Amino acid sequence: MSKINQKPLLLTLVMIISLFLTQCAPKATPVSQSTTEENAPAVSESQEEAPATEAAQEGTAAKRVLRVTFSWPNRIDPAVGNDYASSSSLLNLYDSLIFPNAQGGVDPWLAESWTISEDGKTYTFKLRQDVKFHDGTPLKASDVVFSYDRLKNIGEGYAYLVTAGVVSVTAPDDYTVEITLEAPTALFLPSLTRLYVLNEKLVRENTKAEGPYGENGDYAKEWLQTNDAGSGAYKVKEFPLEQYLLMEKNTDWWGTFAANAPDEVRFIGTTEAVTVRSLMEKKELEISDQWQSFEAYEALEKIQDVDIAVLPSMTTFYYMVNNKKAPTDDVHCRRAMSYAFDYDAAVSLEWPGTKQTVGPIPASLAGHDDSIVPYKRDLDKAKEELAQCKYASELDKYPIELHWVAEVPDEEKWALLFQSNMAEIGMKVEITKVPWLSMVENTSKLETSPSIATIYVSSDLPEAGLMLKQKYHSSTNGTWQQNEWLQDSALDSAIDEALATLDDAERYAKYSAIQKQLVDNAVSLWLYDQVEKRAVRSCVDFPAARNETSMLMGYYFFAANIGVNCP
Amino acid sequence: MEVQNSNMMKTSHLTREQIKQLARTSRREELGRNWYKFSRNPLSVIGLIVIIIIILAAIFAPQVSPYPKHAGPFTDFAHAKIAPNSTYLFGTDQIGRDILSRIIFGMRSSLLMGVVVLALVVPPGVLLGLISGYFNGTWIDTVIMRITDIFLSVPALMLALAFASVLKPNLWNSMLAVSLMWWPWYTRLVYGLATTLRNEYFVSAAEVTGASTAHILFREILPNTLSPILTKMSIDIAWVIIIGSMLSFVGLGVQPPEPSLGTMIADGADYLPDQWWIVVFPALAIVVIVLGFNLIGDGVRDMFGGEEN
Amino acid sequence: MSMIRFIFRRILYSVFVLLGLSIVIFIIARIMPGDPARMSVGARAPQWVVDRIREQMHLNEPLVMQYFYWVSDAAQGDFGLSLITQRQVTDDIKEFLPASIELAFYAALIASTLGIGLGILSARYKDTWVDNLGRIISYAGVVTPSYIFAILFILLFGFALKWFPVIGRLSDDVVTPRIITGLVSIDALIQGQFHTFLDSIWHIALPALALAMGSIAQAARITRSSMADNMNKDYIAAARALGIKEREIMGRFLLKPSLIPTISILGLDIASILSVAFLVESIFNWPGLARYGMNAMLYKDLNAISAVILVFGAAFALMNIIVDIIIAQLDPRIRLRSSRSD
Repeated sequence: MSKINQKPLLLTLVMIISLFLTQCAPKATPVSQSTTEENAPAVSESQEEAPATEAAQEGTAAKRVLRVTFSWPNRIDPAVGNDYASSSSLLNLYDSLIFPNAQGGVDPWLAESWTISEDGKTYTFKLRQDVKFHDGTPLKASDVVFSYDRLKNIGEGYAYLVTAGVVSVTAPDDYTVEITLEAPTALFLPSLTRLYVLNEKLVRENTKAEGPYGENGDYAKEWLQTNDAGSGAYKVKEFPLEQYLLMEKNTDWWGTFAANAPDEVRFIGTTEAVTVRSLMEKKELEISDQWQSFEAYEALEKIQDVDIAVLPSMTTFYYMVNNKKAPTDDVHCRRAMSYAFDYDAAVSLEWPGTKQTVGPIPASLAGHDDSIVPYKRDLDKAKEELAQCKYASELDKYPIELHWVAEVPDEEKWALLFQSNMAEIGMKVEITKVPWLSMVENTSKLETSPSIATIYVSSDLPEAGLMLKQKYHSSTNGTWQQNEWLQDSALDSAIDEALATLDDAERYAKYSAIQKQLVDNAVSLWLYDQVEKRAVRSCVDFPAARNETSMLMGYYFFAANIGVNCP
Repeated sequence: MEVQNSNMMKTSHLTREQIKQLARTSRREELGRNWYKFSRNPLSVIGLIVIIIIILAAIFAPQVSPYPKHAGPFTDFAHAKIAPNSTYLFGTDQIGRDILSRIIFGMRSSLLMGVVVLALVVPPGVLLGLISGYFNGTWIDTVIMRITDIFLSVPALMLALAFASVLKPNLWNSMLAVSLMWWPWYTRLVYGLATTLRNEYFVSAAEVTGASTAHILFREILPNTLSPILTKMSIDIAWVIIIGSMLSFVGLGVQPPEPSLGTMIADGADYLPDQWWIVVFPALAIVVIVLGFNLIGDGVRDMFGGEEN
Repeated sequence: MSMIRFIFRRILYSVFVLLGLSIVIFIIARIMPGDPARMSVGARAPQWVVDRIREQMHLNEPLVMQYFYWVSDAAQGDFGLSLITQRQVTDDIKEFLPASIELAFYAALIASTLGIGLGILSARYKDTWVDNLGRIISYAGVVTPSYIFAILFILLFGFALKWFPVIGRLSDDVVTPRIITGLVSIDALIQGQFHTFLDSIWHIALPALALAMGSIAQAARITRSSMADNMNKDYIAAARALGIKEREIMGRFLLKPSLIPTISILGLDIASILSVAFLVESIFNWPGLARYGMNAMLYKDLNAISAVILVFGAAFALMNIIVDIIIAQLDPRIRLRSSRSD
């Protein structure tokens, strides 16, 4: 009996104490001080509890490790993955024919050189002959053809980008690849960076006979979810789904590593603010994810030897205005909103370095028109436009429903700013927080689309035309990329025509005309070009922070070029 | 109740009028006696006072709160995240709104939610638990408890997501959604108690004397389950308020900028520990509400349980 | 004998409960917004890919047929492919469930010892400062969602004091023990790797405590009120009159019956910890099933949702049976009357 009675008392005491400590914690965290003070007990504690850990750490002290947090899931099958974590993993595990450079162009990679036929439809690539897959098999042109076919047959991941307009991919000999297009397009060459080359032999060995791809069975889709069949600078070492992807250096890689390139790269699947912050503080994380809140970056910046890298992105924060639904189907009502919104306040809510979007697409894209004058807050002009709007007298009847994405809590700030700005000119805004699933569902039909959907949209390639197409072409109606519902066939053909123009200057001029027209029609509100913020330990040599890396999603994390000098 | 019955019996030779008269006074007497039992514990009275103050504050929120505008469409980013001071007693949030004002307004929907949901949930939940517990081992028990099990095992958030897609997002629908996922807990709780109580001598005694099932359920078994029920109810007030915030995440429930205590806590978690006041004060507000209701619950228990012993 | 019959019957009933649950899940999962095929490949994939996945998943057929396909596959242990991981859902569950069970196990251990202990203390010292302190702690525990505790614990013990690790099940350089049960700490113990065992306990302590906090508070309150109630019962008065020691009265006569409501609720609480843990799991980067299920819901991964909820349902059913058995043990008058109706 006495045992029952005493034990809880002790445990209760411990709990009470911990509760009080907990409540004091917020005040008692002048970060750097407490670190040094509390270090001593921490060490003795861990020695007692986990001596194995300590010993192991000493033995492997020389290892260079790069740890980065990402938003999960991470899909490392080249025919499946296309989000941030997946892209960053793919380009480390696999090689592509060409490699994107910081100037927006492409460099030779698996292909040493290439020629383009006069009609611009046939590309011939000469491959390097010294490339071996991770299992030692030499990489041949047939592997490239296989990888292309597999991507096309599965159709997921980057297939839409790579296979668009391609007629055939063939291998005239072991080290030559020939690709034929339907028509010349400016998007083809840059899109080839997303064709990651797989080891056909290894994939065939791990293919299950049963599957949706006919004689190709399951195309080894299941096996490739947790294994790689690549030739890249790193190879999969461990991949407990949900937790992390651990990659190790491929010492037989044909390319050259930076002097201090990491021996191991660990992509960790969490973006929780406290977790990231604690890992940074404990020096168990080199680079953070980009999804932290403003406040979280402020806190991360205060940690010793941690800086916030501000990286350019190809992303704009859109307030997608429904052009087919009252009252925003009237251009004057749309312009009134464009003039009433306080862009400076909106930008100031973001990290320093963020700028208001100029025109309808991010300024980082080739073909962006810098000369466009964006809307600025001007209440007089707003009221003037509003007076011309045919719903001016009955605005109460047409409240503007604004939907923001529940998974991005920061969006609430801009929603509230918008609401109070519009209240100043007498427009009533109803804000709703919508989970992503519902947002996708609602924007799939015109009837259920809200007056305004607030969504970040990224371009796949650094080319203005692609973003214009993804954002405003009729082909993206019914997806979350376009809540505007422009359905303008003249605009569609203008975009298509521009994309088929191979001469840069000529093409950019066509883009420019389209951008001006969209701004004049105030089809959307363009808030700002997003900058990618990442907390980086100062012992990491991160080329992306010096703008020496391509902006293509994931390429900031090509680990062979990153130096890690952390003790 | 029993007191009243015995009075009636003694006075059976009196006229109808006189009986009515007596009944009225005895009812008044009973009320007085109950109040005496309730107020014997000063803590219960404190609880009652606290809850009355909170309810009044919620009703007169526009008059009582220092910045009533801050509960509506309002932004003031220049004054965002200010620590508590004399202008903003509880500080301001990430939008620059006064937290005290938002707590007072937030109590409206939160209190309403807590009270309405429990009112919807407890009677059927308890009734089903009583019945299946009393008929333990029969098909009635099997049917009721298996249905309860099904409802218990669907994760709340999923049920909410499904609801959100079918219903219009407003406070009443979210109450409905929460109620639907809540009642089984009471059934399970009362069921466990009733299975034991049905073996007590006083239940067997009532059975032997031929008392109706309703009498046994409500007069014999129910009073003995009140204590854990009341305790759970006073705790559940808090959980209902917090679950309410979860619903607003999936698009049901109170929508911004209208404040609700649960949502304030959920959103404020991002600002810990540096801007602790964004979370701590709404949480304290819920603690006070729960504490108040719990103290009242203790008093009510004294009222019903006092006589038995 | 009657116990075995009782358990057997309850398991039989559970099968019906799970069947009922499967219908509920099936309908709910399909009411939820969004086209699962489109969600899995993204907005930019061509329509034919979406169509192929829809066909593969029988999404174009009537709901009744879809259910039929699903049940007949599920009966053979085939829950289909997950759209997120592109693997068999069964494999995913095999991978993530043990981590969840491990977490819930330790949370349950903490919740029952601390919760009931705190409740006994409060009842013993009813209406004293101990009781009132217990009350306030309980309410703080109840109103604070578990993820806030998770955040606070990380900030205090991981960030400021650095006493505990922040993520994962084991330190980076500790080798994972050979999988037997999938519960790392238990596997380590079975194989006699004591350091690994300690390392895993060291990792699980914070998330388990964070998850247990709400249950501790609730268990403490219910234990207290039911003990306080029973304290006034005649048989306790009789025991007192007979001069039996207070300690013995508490332990032998009072505690057992008073635990009945606590255990009814605590049992369900623990079963629901499995499914509500997703935020805590994601804060501690714990590879649990709740987090997998949550992701499945966000991406509308139909097969994964259905299977995960069925697993949670089975956990509830199991917990219910266990609770009923424990209650019967605590109160011998309940004969687990399975035979009464036949």
